[in-house]
Amino acid sequence: MEMAMATAMARSALVKKYLRVGVGVDSSPFNFNAIRCRFFSEEVRTSFKSEVTDRVISVVKNFQKVDPSKVTPNANFQNDLGLDSLDSVEIVMALEEEFGFEIPDKEADKINSINLAVDFIASHPQAK
Amino acid sequence: MAKVVPTRSEVLFLFRSLLRTARQFSDYNIREYTKRRTIDGFRQNRTLSDPDSIASAFSHGKAQLEIAKRQAVVYSLYAPKVKSIMDLKPCNSI
Repeated sequence: MEMAMATAMARSALVKKYLRVGVGVDSSPFNFNAIRCRFFSEEVRTSFKSEVTDRVISVVKNFQKVDPSKVTPNANFQNDLGLDSLDSVEIVMALEEEFGFEIPDKEADKINSINLAVDFIASHPQAK
Repeated sequence: MAKVVPTRSEVLFLFRSLLRTARQFSDYNIREYTKRRTIDGFRQNRTLSDPDSIASAFSHGKAQLEIAKRQAVVYSLYAPKVKSIMDLKPCNSI
């Protein structure tokens, strides 16, 4: 009887040893994973914007009247690239085709530089 | 009939509407022709300064827009089954 009790206690001690869960090791809110997740989402957002910038620049470079060497992310269509209002309309239409959505006339009239185009397209939920 | 001289934004609106309509044609040749013709027409008339000729060019453009819209619908009713010859499957292989 005593023997059996001792065996049972020894067994339960053994089980408890394995079942014990460490508390307070990884409970810090600023652990590595949380920080990495935040950086990751930040990275995705900025990389989408830089992808939009690249695609906008390549569309503008392909436009036949534009000198490709003059195209920079800050270029203004009329002052830097020497385009007129008809050309700006054509570029906005080409951007619509590239990103697969329709830009309303009101917004399209405002887009007169590569920066504005990138900002508008990157903030638009339908842009692909 | 007194002709009204269009404003700058009205002209740009007509230009954009013509380009948007041009995209609706299913046939590549017609689509590209309409686009090219629109751009060339506006380029050609950009130096007009006489109010009468501006007004008549503008009303001509509006009439062309109506035609393009109507034809886009008509052509879409009679669109060929195969859009491009590239879509055709090769017949019996040689």
